[in-house]
Amino acid sequence: MDTTPNNASAPELILARLEEIFRAELDDDDLAIGMDTRQADLKAWDSLAHIRLISGIESEFDIQFSIAEIEQISSVRQFVDAIRDHLP
Amino acid sequence: MSEAAGSARRVPKLPLQALPWLPRPVRKMREHLAGLPADPLDALTAMRPLAQAGWDEGELRLLGRKVRGILKSEASSLKAEARKQGLVPLHLLLLSASTANHLGDALIGTAIRFGVLLELTIVEYEEPEPWIERHRSALKENPPDFVLLASDSRMLRLAAPLGEEEASSQAVDLALGQVMRIAEVARGATGKPVILQTLAGDVDASQINIDLGLPGSARYLTGEFNRRLAVEVRRSGHLLFDVNGLSNLVGQATWSAARYWYAAKYPFAAVMIPLYAEHVMRILAAQMGRSRRVLVLDLDNTIWGGVIGDDGIEGLALGTGSPLGETYAALQRMALSYKERGIILCVSSKNDEAIALDAFRNHPEMILKEEDIVAFRVNWDDKAANIKAIAEMIDLGLESFVFFDDNPAERKRVRDALPAVAVPELPEDPSEWISVFQAAGYFEQASFSREDQLRAGFYKANARRAAQLERIGNHDDYLRSLEMTLSIAPFDQPGRKRIAQLISKSNQFNLTTRRYSEAEVAALQTNPEAITVQARLEDMFGDNGMISAVICLQNNRQWEIDTWIMSCRVLGRRVEEAILQHLVQQARAAGALHLIGRYVPTARNALVRDHFEKLGFRRIDSQPDGETTWQLVISEYRDKNLPMTIEASGSSGSGSASAA
Repeated sequence: MDTTPNNASAPELILARLEEIFRAELDDDDLAIGMDTRQADLKAWDSLAHIRLISGIESEFDIQFSIAEIEQISSVRQFVDAIRDHLP
Repeated sequence: MSEAAGSARRVPKLPLQALPWLPRPVRKMREHLAGLPADPLDALTAMRPLAQAGWDEGELRLLGRKVRGILKSEASSLKAEARKQGLVPLHLLLLSASTANHLGDALIGTAIRFGVLLELTIVEYEEPEPWIERHRSALKENPPDFVLLASDSRMLRLAAPLGEEEASSQAVDLALGQVMRIAEVARGATGKPVILQTLAGDVDASQINIDLGLPGSARYLTGEFNRRLAVEVRRSGHLLFDVNGLSNLVGQATWSAARYWYAAKYPFAAVMIPLYAEHVMRILAAQMGRSRRVLVLDLDNTIWGGVIGDDGIEGLALGTGSPLGETYAALQRMALSYKERGIILCVSSKNDEAIALDAFRNHPEMILKEEDIVAFRVNWDDKAANIKAIAEMIDLGLESFVFFDDNPAERKRVRDALPAVAVPELPEDPSEWISVFQAAGYFEQASFSREDQLRAGFYKANARRAAQLERIGNHDDYLRSLEMTLSIAPFDQPGRKRIAQLISKSNQFNLTTRRYSEAEVAALQTNPEAITVQARLEDMFGDNGMISAVICLQNNRQWEIDTWIMSCRVLGRRVEEAILQHLVQQARAAGALHLIGRYVPTARNALVRDHFEKLGFRRIDSQPDGETTWQLVISEYRDKNLPMTIEASGSSGSGSASAA
């Protein structure tokens, strides 16, 4: 069933790309994140880093978060879910 | 023409905020950064070619962060080393009432593209004026090279009741007064002109058609503010950053992103940051004399449609009558418009020269004429070699060159062989070339002077002088045959724009590469310690315009040459000897004992390394970084017989002295 087209939206692939963005935007090359990582778990994930993550993810996945998503997302899982919602 | 219509692969059109004139990046920035050499200087040098690609905002930030990391962990000697490699350290103070820190790393990354190691001080969410007041002494101690006042309409709170002209005018006065006051305070603290921004139109403002003429409406107020700011900036010698123009270029609705304003007080959309940063750097680069000055054009399928060798003059698509012909005519008009701004037009094309010239002479729709082109290199040689030959012929460095060619393979070849030359990528459709080329902004100007209008003529006259030299053979006889007159005067108001331009643009014949703004040049006019010299050179082939500027500072009975600049157009004409003679005469009259000269090496001024030695100075100091200090004892100097008439005016010297 899952040959190629929808592979890009598989959660684990999204997670891998997210990890790279988190490492870049939080300036930590060794950072490891998982689905259950929350904003409260990462000291560097402050409000300024949050907006950098938003813009980094928007350009990486070529999507646009809504203002409500920008406000509400506070965990990696929420990012992954929102990205999957936006991907075609 | 047959293959053009339905050819295979289509590249999606890039928006201007993606900097489409730059080559697209290959691989991720992260991978490039991981592969950089370990040595910090090597790493910085390797970043320069990397930065030439059209990176997006996130990738630029990674680059900038890496630069910051290297500079933070390394000794200050790294900066001096980097300067020798052509990476100039520059300190920018960015003042913003909204968020600005997010611009920092992208600016630093973009600066690498321009050969600049940018150090930033960012002040955000603050009223700039009180901040400057509080930090006045720190700014005096370690002044930034430039200040950017990133104001926006939210900070200026432009508002007036609808329909009230008087109140609108007062609101604009108030906002303008606030900005100009900040600019003056900043200039007072740093001694440098301040970059001031126009206000981008507000996409959230009412879009009612009458607003443009309706006092009190947002569109009316920002329009009035911007117009008056431009006038004020020109009058006061500050620098204009037309952010509104930029926002209009990409479209207001694309420029601003309400989400980012509400979420983080970003003044414009994050995807616009690379374009914004590119413009900031263009303005700074122009101040540093790093704008480009030469446009080299290909011919076939570039300035006309078709291949002249195959299609003949009659077969070319050019001019009225066909959409494609109109497109190429418009491109020629654009090139001509740059000639009028002082850009030197040249041709490099793989063609038979006689056939190509025939089109210039005999095609009725040609807008560019033979006399508009300063140098033709039409042959079957490699284009990179031809561009190099042009650079030698007109005596300008390759970093002044832009090469325009429709053929991606030629573009890549020139880019690889001559990395200093700017080679814009072009969309497939020639009707889109002009907008992309204009957006690339290669010819950013710090100011506009009469010299700019005449420049192409200077270079043409030089070609005729070369022919005369060839005919006469003996160099001194040739110089005498030119019937040169050198007019020397201290800095004055009419010459100020051109003097400032010489100081900001000259890189090769520039002993110390100290940059002074127009306002600083004006201040020198009234400084009693400063002896200033501007010189014009005329000869039988025409007026060369103002070609040299010298600033001497009196230190008791010693005169120190702070700045000595000459246009490379007049190299080999013994002008520098005449100027020295003038300086010596003045120094002698004032009772000075010595002239002290200094040579500060940069990546581009090796030409004048032996300048003082050739003029008879003795070396009295030399530093490990290559800086040398020289002394001339006034009493030992003997006047020379120079092949020109020297007319000195307005100086303490002897009035008019002829030495021919």
